[in-house]
Amino acid sequence: MSYTTRQIGAANTLDYKVYIEQDGKPVSPFHDIPLYANKEKTILNMIVEVPRWTNAKLEISKEQKLNPIIQDTKKGKLRFVRNCFPHHGYIHNYGAFPQTWEDPNQIHPETKAKGDDDPLDVCEIGEQVAYVGQVKQVKVLGVMALLDEGETDWKVIVIDVNDPLAAKLNDIEDVETHLPGLLRATNEWFRIYKIPDGKPENQFAFSGECKNKKYAEEVVAECAEAWDKLIKGTTTPGEIDLTNTTLTSTEKYVESADVPEAAPLAAAPIDKSVDKWFFISGAH
Amino acid sequence: MFNLIPTMTRSLKSKTPLHSSYDRLGLVLNHLGASRSHTRSYTSVSIGAKFSTKYKNYALNESNKVISYFHDIPLNLDVENGTATMVVEVPRWSNAKFEIDTKATGNPIVQDVKKGQVRFVRNLFPYNGYIHNYGALPQTWEDPTQKSGSEDLYGDGDPLDVCEIGSAILKTGQVTTVKILGSLALVDDGELDWKIIVINTQDPLAKNLSDIEDVSVHCPGLLDATRQWFRDYKLADGKAKNVFALGGQYRNQKETIETIFECRAAWDKLVTGKSEASGFAIDNITLKGTPKNVESFSFNEEVLASKPEADTEIPADIFRSFYF
Repeated sequence: MSYTTRQIGAANTLDYKVYIEQDGKPVSPFHDIPLYANKEKTILNMIVEVPRWTNAKLEISKEQKLNPIIQDTKKGKLRFVRNCFPHHGYIHNYGAFPQTWEDPNQIHPETKAKGDDDPLDVCEIGEQVAYVGQVKQVKVLGVMALLDEGETDWKVIVIDVNDPLAAKLNDIEDVETHLPGLLRATNEWFRIYKIPDGKPENQFAFSGECKNKKYAEEVVAECAEAWDKLIKGTTTPGEIDLTNTTLTSTEKYVESADVPEAAPLAAAPIDKSVDKWFFISGAH
Repeated sequence: MFNLIPTMTRSLKSKTPLHSSYDRLGLVLNHLGASRSHTRSYTSVSIGAKFSTKYKNYALNESNKVISYFHDIPLNLDVENGTATMVVEVPRWSNAKFEIDTKATGNPIVQDVKKGQVRFVRNLFPYNGYIHNYGALPQTWEDPTQKSGSEDLYGDGDPLDVCEIGSAILKTGQVTTVKILGSLALVDDGELDWKIIVINTQDPLAKNLSDIEDVSVHCPGLLDATRQWFRDYKLADGKAKNVFALGGQYRNQKETIETIFECRAAWDKLVTGKSEASGFAIDNITLKGTPKNVESFSFNEEVLASKPEADTEIPADIFRSFYF
């Protein structure tokens, strides 16, 4: 199966949309791309929303038909994450697992907080810089439980199965061995990334500890189950668009969805203020 | 006319009695009403594809003539305000090792080449490429034939290196006025290689930074990161860590300006043909009376007529991060 992207408009504008196509046909990265890429469930598909070292806060749109990737806005303005010294933009290839959902109606027994109503977030730690809309095959290594403004927002740590290091990384402790400092930097990054916008430091459940592979796989399975209830109509979807082109037994299945033709434009320049490095005292 | 170098101590202690020397050196003193040349605008022109061995970026003066980044852009060292001119070689968060070619006529900015391959610095986790806008002070030279006074080390044969810490990303070939804040004495392969810490005078933070200790206050973590970066940046190439003279301590603005004076004097020797060092291109357009002063470079028209080329793709491997 080969996935490609269909771009509309220019990056860094309100018009920018990236749809995912499967063999040339538009599909939903939220609902149509299978979570597991092999029968043993050891390899998962990940949708890349934000390439490493970039700032635009791109995410799968829950509300739009076929859930294209768009840039998040606030008060009509494009959102960019700030650079918190010593980091540049996002420090991972950041994205989501398809066919997962953090159910806002459920309080997690251990984090004691409700889900954030989004697909499960993923941090891919391989050496390549990914591209927007890339569908990567990854393996799960661990998970951190960020409490973002009172909601549970799991961050699953994964590596591209094709990365040269992938064979050596089989659980969370291997990450510290081969990529020393990365988990600490990840913890710091998520704690401080909203401080330049005047928000308080985020908190982590489990004292910031990164849980192991087994724990992470359970979180993935729970979120897969929550999505399953959502797509089957057991849970009310709220504003979420459930249109899909592969799940024939679901109510929102369509044979083909009416989405715009490809119309890519060159990336628009990013406002210079995004280049600023913010120095946060006591962060490290 | 280029041999009138005030000694460091005299120049720093007594600013007024040396007007004429400063003036002849092209050093600008604020209280002399020296508005000249600070606002002069330079542009640049590139030939060859960026990220290839063919790439050459030349400076152009205001009448669109090719000049030398090394020799023709005035240092404009202003002792009163602690400012000087910087030539930007490498923008922050990029990897290509661009530098002024001291050996080629016209001293274009080129990408350093090793064993026939263009060089990139590796990403040292958590950093992405260079962590400053990196560049050089024109009309300065770290003399490879002379041991520097206190450090007992030979210079590396390059213009003084500069790390600009402002919030904007600057461009390769950009010429800008910076405030001098301090310096770190890197010893690179046994040669002295000062790293001068500066901020663009146009930066909103510049008014709050007057000396090295202000950097610790306003940019916490940056000076330690800078030291670590220069210590470790060659580890990814299988080399040893770099070491520092002066115990790796940062020197303040005043001490740094003394070093700039020394390196300015060394450059003066070079450009007037009094240095024993060989192989350096001292051809220039603006320094009348120097041995290699010319009306214009032979390749002037060719450079101006060249058509822009698409960048060569950066090898995927350059995006890898190294963990130590």
